[in-house]
Amino acid sequence: MASKHSKDITRRGFIKGTGVASLVLFIGGVPFLISACGETKQTIKIGLSTPSTGPAAEKGQVLEHGNKDAVRYINEEWGGVGGYPVELVWMDNGYNPSNMVNNVHKFMDSRCITFGCSSSAMMTAGMSAANQNGFTGLAVYGAPVIYRPPKHIYGQMPDYGDDFVVFAQYYKDNLWNGQGKPKVAMHLLNNSTGSGAHDGAKAKAAEMGFELIEPVYEHTASTTSETTSLNSIRSLNPDILYIASTPKPSSVIIKNANELGMTGGNMVIACGHAGMTKALVDLAGADVCEGVYGLFPTVNWDDDASGMEKLKEYCQRYHPSDYGNMDYIASWCQSLIMAKAAELAVESVGYEALAKGDGAAWKAYEDYGIKALNNYDVEGLQGPVSYTVGDNRMSKSLRVFQVQKGSINPVTDWIDAPLIEYEKYDWFGKQ
Amino acid sequence: MHLPAGIRNYTYAQDMAIFRTKTQWVMFGGLIVLLAVVPLLMGNYWLSIFNIIGITIIAAMGLNLLTGYCGQLSIGHAGFIAVGAYTSAILTGQYGVPFIIGMLGGGLIAGLTGVLFGIPSLRVKGFYLAISTIAAQFIIMWVISQWGSVTGGYIGLNVSPAEIFGFQFTSQLSKYYLIMGICVIAVFVAKNLARTRQGRAFVAVRDNDLAAQVMGISLFRYKLLAFFVGCFFAGISGALLAHCYYGFLNPEFFSFKESILYVGMIIIGGLGTTVGPIFGVVFVRLLERLISLELVPFLESTVTALPSGWASGVTPMLFGLVIVLFLILEPRGVAHRWQMFKNSYRLWPFSY
Amino acid sequence: MADLLQYTITGITVGMVYSLIAMGFVLIWKSSGVANLALGQLVLLFSWFTYGMLAQTGLPVWLGLVVVVAFALLLGWIIERFVLRPLIAQPILSLIAVTLGMAYFIEGLCTFIWPWGVDVLPRLFPQDPIRIGTAVVSQEYLWAAGVSLLLFGALSLYFKYSRMGIAMRATADDQMAVQACGIPVTRIFSRSWMFACVMAAVGGILMSSIGGISYGLVETGMKSFSVVILGGLDSFLGAIIAGPIIGLAENLAGGYLTAYTWPGVKEIIPFIIIIIVMFIKPYGLFGESRIERI
Repeated sequence: MASKHSKDITRRGFIKGTGVASLVLFIGGVPFLISACGETKQTIKIGLSTPSTGPAAEKGQVLEHGNKDAVRYINEEWGGVGGYPVELVWMDNGYNPSNMVNNVHKFMDSRCITFGCSSSAMMTAGMSAANQNGFTGLAVYGAPVIYRPPKHIYGQMPDYGDDFVVFAQYYKDNLWNGQGKPKVAMHLLNNSTGSGAHDGAKAKAAEMGFELIEPVYEHTASTTSETTSLNSIRSLNPDILYIASTPKPSSVIIKNANELGMTGGNMVIACGHAGMTKALVDLAGADVCEGVYGLFPTVNWDDDASGMEKLKEYCQRYHPSDYGNMDYIASWCQSLIMAKAAELAVESVGYEALAKGDGAAWKAYEDYGIKALNNYDVEGLQGPVSYTVGDNRMSKSLRVFQVQKGSINPVTDWIDAPLIEYEKYDWFGKQ
Repeated sequence: MHLPAGIRNYTYAQDMAIFRTKTQWVMFGGLIVLLAVVPLLMGNYWLSIFNIIGITIIAAMGLNLLTGYCGQLSIGHAGFIAVGAYTSAILTGQYGVPFIIGMLGGGLIAGLTGVLFGIPSLRVKGFYLAISTIAAQFIIMWVISQWGSVTGGYIGLNVSPAEIFGFQFTSQLSKYYLIMGICVIAVFVAKNLARTRQGRAFVAVRDNDLAAQVMGISLFRYKLLAFFVGCFFAGISGALLAHCYYGFLNPEFFSFKESILYVGMIIIGGLGTTVGPIFGVVFVRLLERLISLELVPFLESTVTALPSGWASGVTPMLFGLVIVLFLILEPRGVAHRWQMFKNSYRLWPFSY
Repeated sequence: MADLLQYTITGITVGMVYSLIAMGFVLIWKSSGVANLALGQLVLLFSWFTYGMLAQTGLPVWLGLVVVVAFALLLGWIIERFVLRPLIAQPILSLIAVTLGMAYFIEGLCTFIWPWGVDVLPRLFPQDPIRIGTAVVSQEYLWAAGVSLLLFGALSLYFKYSRMGIAMRATADDQMAVQACGIPVTRIFSRSWMFACVMAAVGGILMSSIGGISYGLVETGMKSFSVVILGGLDSFLGAIIAGPIIGLAENLAGGYLTAYTWPGVKEIIPFIIIIIVMFIKPYGLFGESRIERI
């Protein structure tokens, strides 16, 4: 009897005991694990989320490297931010929106004072959580939807709509010598990159004296032939073919346009800043790309800017394969701007208040950091950065580039894009 | 089904009961308490991970009813989730409908869309049917992206937080309780649906639809019912995704890859069981996050001599490797292993 | 008329490239009933491997291509031996899920080795477009179309006349019966994976010389699913015919319908056609309809 009794207790008791023990361990362990991540070093924490894997990895990788190297540079050459080293809390979002939401919460939980993000699709996934908590975010590339109407998300650069407006202005002033209204055909990537440019055109083209050809044409990121759509565009005889896309589809379109004999005549091809990188020239071939215009919000690798030497040095040392990639410069600037704002905030409210990384610190960073930025030159690497009330684009400046003999050369100085108040148009941002 | 020694069934109801021993009730109570207590100890980051797991479980429950029980392979689940998300967001945002009704409306419209794309299932089956659901995914996403005047198109759509009787679910903790509450209801409904006449008809259709038809089961009715129910769950999950998770909708949130992953989740969990999808979802969603959000940043900060691009490549590699190894070691899914564990627990210390 | 000619030629040539990838899918399905979800990722991997051989190692083109084919054979063997063989006699959906895991693994491997994500192959084909009447077509497409016709011919003959090919068809029909006849089923699976990998490699080389190497290759690989299903999962003839049908549908719709509907209609039209075809021929255009018994 005794043995049966003890066996019975052993079996049930064992399971119950294990159950209770694991429960206790779990409940006790989770907070311990979370608290174990705490740091004792005095640092300024900045979050960074990049799509380093998945369908946008080609861009995400470079953006990750640029930011990481810039933080190395800030810590080594600036001596950190107001004397405190920057600690980058980097997370990969895999271009997966549900991951991005987790990333933003992770940044807030680990007491970051702000976060950087790259694409508008990811920013739209994360921005609701950030806006709700007053947590400031800076997006390197973006469509207007992320900061119209302005809240706590900022754009580092002009958006895809501004690209179009700036190019249209440049075209009117320098290239157009015909009669009547120049006709614009648009070839857009089927996401916010393409629609951003379309929005800009819808808002401003008529006002600026252009005729926007509707319907616009769309392509996917995996397109291998756009001969058909270009054939239709050719019959409409446009003066400008405006492509808002990433390098790979842009290269397919430019190649096909070339085959159809659309280039070389009066028609001008222009690319928005998501596509105007070295990869475009590599993919399409230098001869095919010759004369293509594009816009970009940073300087070029060959430009003579004060910060260029160090940027090249760090790129060569840590990520030589990114040398010559425009995204690297853009993301480098992203870290510089985030760190500069942090520096201003440290000066105003002190390290202790900021390093808490709570609601008050986020507000302090936004009010005394981001909003205090005034004509910061970002070491000459991109357009000057200032905050103006009601406009969450930190820099408003773009330059027009042209592919000349296989290299992408600037043909203008910085041109400021006017603020477009998209939310006033009834087609924008349904609530 | 093994029962502990000494427990006998005296009525049919007893035989059919889900919980038959005191220990099961205690365990179940413990689980509910655990679900209620654990979030109080977690930060928002972990809460947001639990929230996406809960939302995914609801959708996976639907897919399991459709694919696991009724045998209709669907590779367009993310599309149906999108229908629910957008319907609910538009109903609440533009027509001022309360959240609960918006959510049910989302489920209803998603279910009806499912029925529409399920019609080919009457003619085709197996992998051929998959094309109809793949088509559903692409056509739905195309309509959503282009119908800008209603859905916001590529620009996107702002979604208000969920609100029930004036209480706004804005904090992660409140969202967690809402999601888990609905998730528990969904699991309960799915478990019981599978035990009804309809559920048994689904299984009959899955095992051999010709035989089922001969026995008098209307294929037309039950296949479309399976599509309706499966997509209804997807719609509910979509509504939660819109109101309690993203707070914004963008067509890019509902990718084809996500649809494929849903099928992967229910296979890994174990098709045609109720616990299967739960295990599958927890396994896949946690694995995704543990690798890319915890392990890789940790390794990257501790081991400095790694080549560039290392961390980014390792995330999908590890994810894929674990799935492959797991399936090689346990091809019948986690649910099968769980069943083996339960049996051996009941028989312990004897082996059979 | 000039438009129609252009759309037709573009549609057919683009469609032939889809066919090429689709045949690799059919090969696996035909012998083992497994839907290979890693197809797009395999195409990506072989494109990068070709890049590694030709651009990075600098091998001469002929030698580089030989190495690529050898690697494809080896990888096919490895996949079958170590990933799919342990799952023989398990539920077929588990085998499909395993290819999904493989897809993630291969994707990660590509990022791991070639982290920059986008590049171009050295030019393998002449660049000048060819003019047919008023229409223009780039030479890479003609090459791709030629190669896929060639492979189709070779595969059809192989399956019709070679001992191994006949055994493969028999395996597809009834694995148990084939095993009972003393035909080594595992060797057949292994052989079909090796061939499928070679086809993915050829497809990858052709596609990446058209549009460069990038993640987009994976999505083009996925497009071949619709080609396969339209043609019939187990029919090479179906794949070679369904590809151009899809290509034509896309381009004709893109050319003539875009002005009347929303943009992007060309991505949707093929699916609508497929659903209609499914109603008339549930096993695809050329798929084998199985007689069901209770």
